[in-house]
Amino acid sequence: MHNSQLKFIYLSLLFAFICLLVPWSGIALSLRPDFMLLVIIYWMLRAPNQCNVGTAWFVGLLVDLATGGVFGQYALAYTVTTFVGLVYQRRLVLFNNTQQLVYVFLLLVLSQIVLLVLKTFAGNEWLGWTYFLPSITGILIWQLAVMLGLNTGKHSRGN
Amino acid sequence: MVQGFHQNLEQQQAPAFFARGPSPFARLVFFAALSLTLIATDSRLQYLSTVRENLMVLLHPLQLIANAPSQLYQFTNEYFSTHHRLLNENEQLKKQALKQDVALQQLNILALENANLRDLLQANKTLAESTTLAEIMHIGRDPFAKKIIVNRGASHGVLAGAAVVDATGVIGQVTRTYPSSSEATLITDKSLAIPIQIERNGLRAIAFGHGRDNTLNLPYLPANVDIQRGDKLVTSGIDGIYPVGLAVATVSEVKVTPGSPFAKIVCEPTGGIEKYRQVLLVRTPQVDVVNNNLAPQTSDRKNNAEKTQPQKIKEPKQQPNSTKPQSNNPDKPHA
Repeated sequence: MHNSQLKFIYLSLLFAFICLLVPWSGIALSLRPDFMLLVIIYWMLRAPNQCNVGTAWFVGLLVDLATGGVFGQYALAYTVTTFVGLVYQRRLVLFNNTQQLVYVFLLLVLSQIVLLVLKTFAGNEWLGWTYFLPSITGILIWQLAVMLGLNTGKHSRGN
Repeated sequence: MVQGFHQNLEQQQAPAFFARGPSPFARLVFFAALSLTLIATDSRLQYLSTVRENLMVLLHPLQLIANAPSQLYQFTNEYFSTHHRLLNENEQLKKQALKQDVALQQLNILALENANLRDLLQANKTLAESTTLAEIMHIGRDPFAKKIIVNRGASHGVLAGAAVVDATGVIGQVTRTYPSSSEATLITDKSLAIPIQIERNGLRAIAFGHGRDNTLNLPYLPANVDIQRGDKLVTSGIDGIYPVGLAVATVSEVKVTPGSPFAKIVCEPTGGIEKYRQVLLVRTPQVDVVNNNLAPQTSDRKNNAEKTQPQKIKEPKQQPNSTKPQSNNPDKPHA
């Protein structure tokens, strides 16, 4: 049971990673949701024992590698986000879909804020409010996934 | 004993709801410390660049998979492009080739003349630039940095520091090389500076990327500086990185605020920074000071002048817009 779930986790992460590597450009680039973080939040809700802060950290390192930025930025952002998610994980699976959506949105925004702080320390400028658009497209994709039948809610409790 | 231990563990794991290993907070502290260390190491010390290069090799096949859909789309698009469009394009290309042929004939004569004059003046030889044609694989994923990834890397002889040029002007500089791809920072990135010269009066300055919108700044110039709207900026070549006379940007705004000793000058890049797929990576060989001081023999110099000709002919193809690249030469002796 656990092994098959692990396989699913890795496969979905691989798929999200390929989505990230697709050559986005123009408007699509500024709208691109954070696929990796969405997958991590999903598995963190479903299987907190398999997908944890450590997984998030490794995935963050991969994203750092792919974006070509300084190592550790996405890793730290994902670590913090997963931690906040994990603290409320048991409560989260009791939420209904709308409540979960709000919470996922907050998590996505949190990861972007952590990233923004790190980038600002490195001397980058504030990009304007469009910087947070990926969080909005992120929850749209989450909602789409829920409507397509991905189960994040009450019935997955205890897995 | 061991079996018993395992059973014990399994019993503990049964209500998985409670078994969570180290507390999330402990994990947070551990991994946050780890990432902060990584950030500090990577941004201040250069240890991790080789690690990154090696990991990029592993990433390459995944990148190819990710690029496949868009490439397939392009391929089918080109394959089914209409006969009419191809004919049109062919005609245009023929016209362009004719124009360039005429220009080339003149250029051959000028190049010969230039070589002779340089011989006479015992000036330094114009150094041949080595160029590599590359294709943009994708735009950088970091929203804070203006970067592109091209499909030529260290295995194709690309070195960090090479200038990135397209048909209309300079667009950036190679900042990182991986085995089969390399990362170029665009001139509009905040961290990139490029030494330029005003084409009209030969004034030298340094242009900085603005970062947010696709513009360049010319800071630290006095308020009474002789720069007008519409002035063309070309590379000055004094840095030894960018070849001389490539178009960089056009001045779009000159603002003088009373009370400020500096003028605010905004320029728009000439190169099609987000338009073209193909770019040229130009590497200027480093000037060997020792060799230049030892006066080389005449025959040797002639050979070199001949060698450089085909390279020099390439240059105007990159920049058909710049009408008078010779205009920089009178200013050079002042440098």
